[in-house]
Amino acid sequence: MFVKLAVQSLLDRKGSVLLSLMAMTVSIFVLLGVNHIRHQAKDSFSNTLSGVDLIVGARTGSLNLLLYSVFRIGSPTNNISWQSFQRIASSPKVKWAIPVSLGDSHKGYRVLGTSRDYFRYFSYGHQHALAFDQGRVFDQVFDVVLGAEVAKKLGYQLGDKVVLAHGVATTSFSLHDDRPFTVVGILKPTGTPVDQTLHVSLQGIEAIHVDWQHGVRIPGRVNSQKEVEAIDLQPKSITAFMLGLNSKMATFRVQRQINNFKQEPLLAILPGVALSELWQMMAILENTLLLVSALVFVAACLGMSAMLLSSIREREREIQLLRAVGAPPGFLFMLVELEALLITLCSLILGTGLLMLSLLLAKDVLASHFGLFIKTNIFTESSVYLIAATIMASLIVAVIPSFSLYSNARLGSRR
Amino acid sequence: MTIELSNVRFHYPERPKRWVLNIPSWSLSAGEKVFVHGPSGGGKSTLLNLLSGLMPASEGSVTILGQRLEQMNSRQRDRFRANNIGYVFQQFNLIPYLNALDNIRLARQFASRKKAGANDNEIKALLSALNLSEKDWRLPARNLSIGQQQRVAIARALINKPQILIADEPTSSLDQANRDVFMSLLMSVIAENNMSLLLVSHDLSLSGYFNRVDDLKEINHIEGLA
Repeated sequence: MFVKLAVQSLLDRKGSVLLSLMAMTVSIFVLLGVNHIRHQAKDSFSNTLSGVDLIVGARTGSLNLLLYSVFRIGSPTNNISWQSFQRIASSPKVKWAIPVSLGDSHKGYRVLGTSRDYFRYFSYGHQHALAFDQGRVFDQVFDVVLGAEVAKKLGYQLGDKVVLAHGVATTSFSLHDDRPFTVVGILKPTGTPVDQTLHVSLQGIEAIHVDWQHGVRIPGRVNSQKEVEAIDLQPKSITAFMLGLNSKMATFRVQRQINNFKQEPLLAILPGVALSELWQMMAILENTLLLVSALVFVAACLGMSAMLLSSIREREREIQLLRAVGAPPGFLFMLVELEALLITLCSLILGTGLLMLSLLLAKDVLASHFGLFIKTNIFTESSVYLIAATIMASLIVAVIPSFSLYSNARLGSRR
Repeated sequence: MTIELSNVRFHYPERPKRWVLNIPSWSLSAGEKVFVHGPSGGGKSTLLNLLSGLMPASEGSVTILGQRLEQMNSRQRDRFRANNIGYVFQQFNLIPYLNALDNIRLARQFASRKKAGANDNEIKALLSALNLSEKDWRLPARNLSIGQQQRVAIARALINKPQILIADEPTSSLDQANRDVFMSLLMSVIAENNMSLLLVSHDLSLSGYFNRVDDLKEINHIEGLA
């Protein structure tokens, strides 16, 4: 009867309650959204790479190198020579080296030129190796291996032809349409930028640029596919490379050697260190966002409290009646607290539902534009704590109208 | 004695020098039907609030069914009221958004466990006995006519089988015909349940229904008090 009374009372005041509910829903949406995205962004970035000791590229900022080489965000400042890569890769301290060549795309998805070692040594999350859903590693010059998302979204199957575009724009008019690639493999989903990537051999990247100079096709020069395959397709430059070392102890020494590389200005970074730099930069922003969203929630709670307080004045006769039939002041206190709890719970259901729907809709955009792989399930440990905190906060704020009613009832008893 | 007042004085805390009630002695016996009349603002509702334990007397003793209300704490008085006193108001007798059944269930909620055992069949039997048609039981109270609301209010006042029924101007919002119907119904219910009735009103035409008629001015001696 207690719950029924609170529910019916709220339904009876649906106008003001609905406005309060909407304010609470929006604030909970923002609060949980900011919290979820900041945690997911960290998880997403941290899980993208595993087991890579060093990333090497042209000299630039360490964050820039990390973002373009691993997360496909931004653009490289310069390429590095193939000779430098070979020299470093052949060092006895190096266990494996994965070259990375970026700059082309297919319908908005980045193309990654690499070697077969990529499929052998690259790992993500907690040392998960890449696995094939269908097909195999590229073998021929014009073979392509698709990330899971690319295959799913574009509906590609093994054997389909894929035309790459020069540059990374979503819509490109510089197509390598004379040299299509054949899909030979599709990877299993990883929840990392790998899913949004087309993987070709470095020779494939060289091959499609044979008749190109400075980013445009040379007019009048057209080599057939066979002629191109006969050309020496050894790459002259690559964008970056990842290194796995035989001993972790040697990491800093190898890093120093690469940073002091005489032949070419190079930069070697430790992915974990670069990521922590990124988090430090982001910490102020994310804390500010969280603070703002918490303040929005507090404002919504105070709005609810004001609504409940004004409703007490409207319900004076109802309260008098409840007292006459024997309702103690504590019952009236709990009644207002329950009303606040019901509004908060409804707002939580609506807010979380709305957030999950929004994440579902924005998932692809976040992944393709920002390299963020956000899960739609928001119920993590931190969000559960936050939900508990919102419930507690709303109950605490509702003490103002509850106590007002309680003290009025007590005063009536003392009068 | 069902109700016994002895040297009862009352003033509101914020106005300590302005006495509202000063009743040296007044009582109501078991099964008695007493009508107290007086002008508006004469302290009738305040007297009922003291008798129901909603407000404690500033001085003196209020004894109901042999128990002194001033010796009880607020919670005990609330429980005592729910168990032993039925209340019918002038208007706004029911929670407007609850239906008749829920309004009565609500009163049952605050009674002691033994009485709270009264089941829905009892509520339905009571509503039937008070001539409230079954189709109106589940309507929100605000959709019932004033006459129907008063009958539900009587049912609510009776559900915990109280020994005293207090009515505060219950007929003031009824027309002549409905007033007579209501009073006849109230008196038959009181007789059937062997309850004591205290009804306060400024409408002297109701006095014919009662064993005893008291003028509040005669029992409330506030003249001459500082």
